[in-house]
Amino acid sequence: MQGQSQQQAYDRGITIFSPDGRLYQVEYAREAVKRGTASVGIRTPAGVVLAADRQVDSSLMEPSSVEKIHKADDHVGIASAGHVADARRLVDLARRRAQGEQLRYGQTIGVETLTRAVTDHIQEYTQTGGARPFGVALLVGGVEDGEPRLLETDPSGTDYEWQAAAIGSNRDVIQGFLEERYRPDLDLDGGLELALSALSEPEDDPVNAGDVDVATIGTDDETFRSVPEDRLESILAEIDGDESDE
Amino acid sequence: MSNWNRTQSWSPESNGTADGSPSPYEPELGSLPSTGEDGANVNSTGTTTVGITTDDGVVIATDMRASLGGRFVSNKNVQKVEQIHPTAALTLVGSVGGAQSFIRTLRSEVDLFEARRDEQMPISALATLAGNFARGGPFRAINPILGGVDDDGSHVYSIDPAGGVMADDYTVTGSGMQLAYGLLEQEYEEGLSLADARTAAARAVHSAAERDTGSGNGVFLASVTADGVDIQGHDSFDDVI
Repeated sequence: MQGQSQQQAYDRGITIFSPDGRLYQVEYAREAVKRGTASVGIRTPAGVVLAADRQVDSSLMEPSSVEKIHKADDHVGIASAGHVADARRLVDLARRRAQGEQLRYGQTIGVETLTRAVTDHIQEYTQTGGARPFGVALLVGGVEDGEPRLLETDPSGTDYEWQAAAIGSNRDVIQGFLEERYRPDLDLDGGLELALSALSEPEDDPVNAGDVDVATIGTDDETFRSVPEDRLESILAEIDGDESDE
Repeated sequence: MSNWNRTQSWSPESNGTADGSPSPYEPELGSLPSTGEDGANVNSTGTTTVGITTDDGVVIATDMRASLGGRFVSNKNVQKVEQIHPTAALTLVGSVGGAQSFIRTLRSEVDLFEARRDEQMPISALATLAGNFARGGPFRAINPILGGVDDDGSHVYSIDPAGGVMADDYTVTGSGMQLAYGLLEQEYEEGLSLADARTAAARAVHSAAERDTGSGNGVFLASVTADGVDIQGHDSFDDVI
């Protein structure tokens, strides 16, 4: 009994390494991300596409109340997978940090600088007693000095930069699909199509326009824009048509 | 009883703002002193400092006198222009202590910005930050000029004690400003070369040094270009005008 409780201590305390150097709570947080519905981000020369699958369990629920894509600043959007409530805390931090940059330097914050501020905060929750890690991964997409950027945060507080990335459930399947289909010269429409196809891949059936949340940040106007549902429907219809042709 | 419950001192938002970044009006390192300064016994630079933009860079000229209230010369060899960024310099105007601390603070901000982001701080960002510190801190008696060069070209800003930040083609601050402006209004023109701007700036400081009791004892001249900052002192105005 004594031995067992000793062993369990490694995964109870966030600040305690296991003998083989692992932080179990951080790894469990990554499991929480895998349980969340998927989000994808695609970087194209014309801008960044963020798309999220929002699972609505009941036909009585208002789908718009499940928020998985957030505007952090005019030129930056954030998609999440995992605990939505944890994501909202981080999104609010990013929003405040973006405005802080305007106050402090009178300039627009860079996507990488903003992501670092978020990952610094996440990291703090892997090393501090009494805390639990954030059970969420984020895709931070935006435009910086006229260049589209796409970065990911993970529960350890590490950030990665991507051309195209998937987080959440079925990540491996979707990431594999993106690796196969991604081309660096996509336009924004091509990026939208790829993002929706990628979210459709695990079920092998196009997603419903009402079940996805999609936004773009264009390189030319550097502005976050939600993609309206009728536009998603027409893209999905096209994807469906293409697949029937095959 | 598990250990982690006992760690009570933790507070995730102890740094002022939720994201751990400092207040926009405060430096990253250290804190702004909370007390002001007693005017009578403080070394002030009296001063005339001039900044001029040209297509090739920025020229800054400052006199070399420190005084107590402009009535007693407390130092005859003061360098009142300092490099604070690879391609920017700031003048010391007003309280010497306030201005020196202001410069040290801005230097560390510039270095941190560069180290974290792998790019130099734009001069407009530096001007905004300097204005915030002037507004938020007790640097009441300072009125420096910031001159610098970045991807957008040459910039000169005057920063006033209340945090006002104003860009201009040329600007003057300090007790001898009317005298220096009188000369610059005659001599400044668009398209001035860097060499001609150096002469005009030195002549402006010379005019002030002749008649303003807070200014004198020679001139420091700084040239700021995309290649860096070059600062040289001259005891005699004859060398440069």
